[in-house]
Amino acid sequence: MSERNDPKTLHRRTFLRTAGAVAGTVALGFPAVLRAQAPTVKIGVIHGVTGPLAEPGQACRLGAQMAAEAINAAGGIKSLGGAKLELLLGDTQSKPDVARTEAERLINAGAQLLQGPFSSGDAAAMVPVVQQRRVPFLIDIAAADPITANVAKAVREGQQKVQYVYRNFPTGTMFGQLAVRYFNAIFEEAGVSPKRVVLMYANDLFGQSQSRGFQAAHKAAKPGWDIVEVIPWPEPPSDLSTEVSRAKAARPDIIAPITRPASAQLLLPELAKQRVDIMGVVGPGSPGLYEAGQIAVLKEHLEYVMDSVPWPNFKNPRTRAVADEYAKRSGGKTFDTNSGYSYDGMLVIADALERAKSTDPDVVVDAIKKTRFTGHLMVSAGPVVFNEIGDNPNASTALIQILGQKPVVVWPKEAAQQKAVFPRPKR
Amino acid sequence: MRWAAVIAIAVLLALPAVLGSYAITVFIFIFFYAFLGQAWNIIGGYAGQLSVGHAAFVGLGAYTSAMLSIHAGLTPWIGMLVGGVVSAALGALIGYLGFRFGLRGFYFVLLTVAFAEIFRIIALNTDWVGGAQGLYITFTGDPRQFQFQDNRVYYYVSLGLMLLATGVVAWIERHRFGAYLVAIREDENACEALGVDTFRYKMLAIVVSAFLTGIGGTFYAFYLFSLQPNSVFGIPLSVEIVIRPIVGGSGTILGPILGSFILSPLAELSRTYFSQGGWTGMHLIVYGALLIGVVLFLPQGAYPALRRLLLRVRG
Repeated sequence: MSERNDPKTLHRRTFLRTAGAVAGTVALGFPAVLRAQAPTVKIGVIHGVTGPLAEPGQACRLGAQMAAEAINAAGGIKSLGGAKLELLLGDTQSKPDVARTEAERLINAGAQLLQGPFSSGDAAAMVPVVQQRRVPFLIDIAAADPITANVAKAVREGQQKVQYVYRNFPTGTMFGQLAVRYFNAIFEEAGVSPKRVVLMYANDLFGQSQSRGFQAAHKAAKPGWDIVEVIPWPEPPSDLSTEVSRAKAARPDIIAPITRPASAQLLLPELAKQRVDIMGVVGPGSPGLYEAGQIAVLKEHLEYVMDSVPWPNFKNPRTRAVADEYAKRSGGKTFDTNSGYSYDGMLVIADALERAKSTDPDVVVDAIKKTRFTGHLMVSAGPVVFNEIGDNPNASTALIQILGQKPVVVWPKEAAQQKAVFPRPKR
Repeated sequence: MRWAAVIAIAVLLALPAVLGSYAITVFIFIFFYAFLGQAWNIIGGYAGQLSVGHAAFVGLGAYTSAMLSIHAGLTPWIGMLVGGVVSAALGALIGYLGFRFGLRGFYFVLLTVAFAEIFRIIALNTDWVGGAQGLYITFTGDPRQFQFQDNRVYYYVSLGLMLLATGVVAWIERHRFGAYLVAIREDENACEALGVDTFRYKMLAIVVSAFLTGIGGTFYAFYLFSLQPNSVFGIPLSVEIVIRPIVGGSGTILGPILGSFILSPLAELSRTYFSQGGWTGMHLIVYGALLIGVVLFLPQGAYPALRRLLLRVRG
């Protein structure tokens, strides 16, 4: 196993493959020179592209593929003789057992690094595989804190020798902290001091962990506003009128919803219908509030709505070019959280390979640890770096607002495309 | 027959010497799902009490041993048995409610599904067990923690589980208990009229079945390293458990094993060949079509068909 990635060792399979290729070229009468192609680095890209989380999974896959194509078009990994990235695609179906098998399958097919997945349970099932087989693994989305923290702990306590698992995405805890920070920043910038925030959330895995993270961060930060009421609903809901009247009764200044696309389509019109008088709707990390499809359906209901989500930095011209191409290739979808972070993930891998000048797993891991990458496309608090846990402390969300029926970044200031409109104009 | 079994076991024991890690993983899941299917077979196949909520036992067993390991430092080798006992207790409760109040057929199905759903929702809303985020287990590779640096050990553990459950089923089939269960399945009223305490034997069957399934939960937790309510208590897992014995032949010793040896490789092959191209989801369509084919042409399961074939060959 230790020799698996050592180019100097001649393996039976390599030998057979080379011998076969040579025999083939000789038989076909081509000059053998044509066969001397640049080497490739195989990267297993594993996302749940079917099953309940297929949509984000497919966005992730396309993002990673486009990044690899861009890297290859720019000459591949130069320090490895212009090696091209060859992607081996895997599908977890959002099932942990399939995720584990897929990781094994792609490593078996020669994957020297792994990237993925969206769902945290899938990522956790892949961790032992990469630790057993010594394959560097970059998590591009899965946000549950313990995934990387547990590996770091096992290494610290001497149960594992090397950490092969790294993550370039804000962790669950960071999501809540960033949301509270952005709430404060926006209130301060507008010179207002709302007091009463009502948190409403879809009671599923995502909604529950987001709302918990937000509440925990609020408790720790003790800002000048209170979460006066917390209202969950079963997802998908058939009607949210009772939930909204409960929220209204709490006399909120801000509604902080964590929705899904279906519940957002009920919640926002209901807030308007019941004439809930608020300064604004600010999601502490909520899907359903910014997608092109949602804007088309909800129209003016989404205008001025804000949300704290990982978001591409459109001030960067390269981001805009990638987003245009992404829209073309995805049938008009927005380049956003998932596609963006998967795109960045592949860039981070290429950067590490470039510096490692080798595909030896331990050398690659050393290079990953020393990462200080500034070519990323997502809004972040600084270059991509990895801390002792294996997470990127600079990975961040952005506060976006729907202005003129388009999502634009309004915070942090460096990435802001426009100033936030807050409190929202009275209707 | 006995010789064939000995040879098959010897081959399975020797296989890891020649298999790569990926193939070993495929076999691990073949054995594991065959084990769960075999456990289900006792109550669902032999006794004919269709449970579509066996995920509840997997989940309860998994959560029990994971919680004991994380918070009390108890080794999963013991936690596994505790999880089995807790699941068996749940089995007894479900069985008592179902059998005492005479729920048969679809009503029993609904009861079992309802229990699995109740546990899913409880786990989803209880912070103490991780809520929706679930539990994450640290991979240490320490055998005392039921974790192994070498995938081959998991192979032998899952093979052992499958053989254990198959041994239990073989024992049941050869004893009066098995005959009672089959009689209950075929005609419960007649069976009762002949003086068999059907309640008692159905209870015994569900308790044994739940105990074994609960043990499987520990394997799930310490092989996949995280537990989410939706994946361990969800209906999809219950269906995974039921489908193998049905395809292989429920109420037969080899049915669940055969079903697992048919379905898992089918899923793998269709994924390997149809997932690399641009056809996202094609592998599921292929797998679904193959599954429909199996059910259409072998309605009683693969094992009875195979046996008929063998008998015909022998003359």
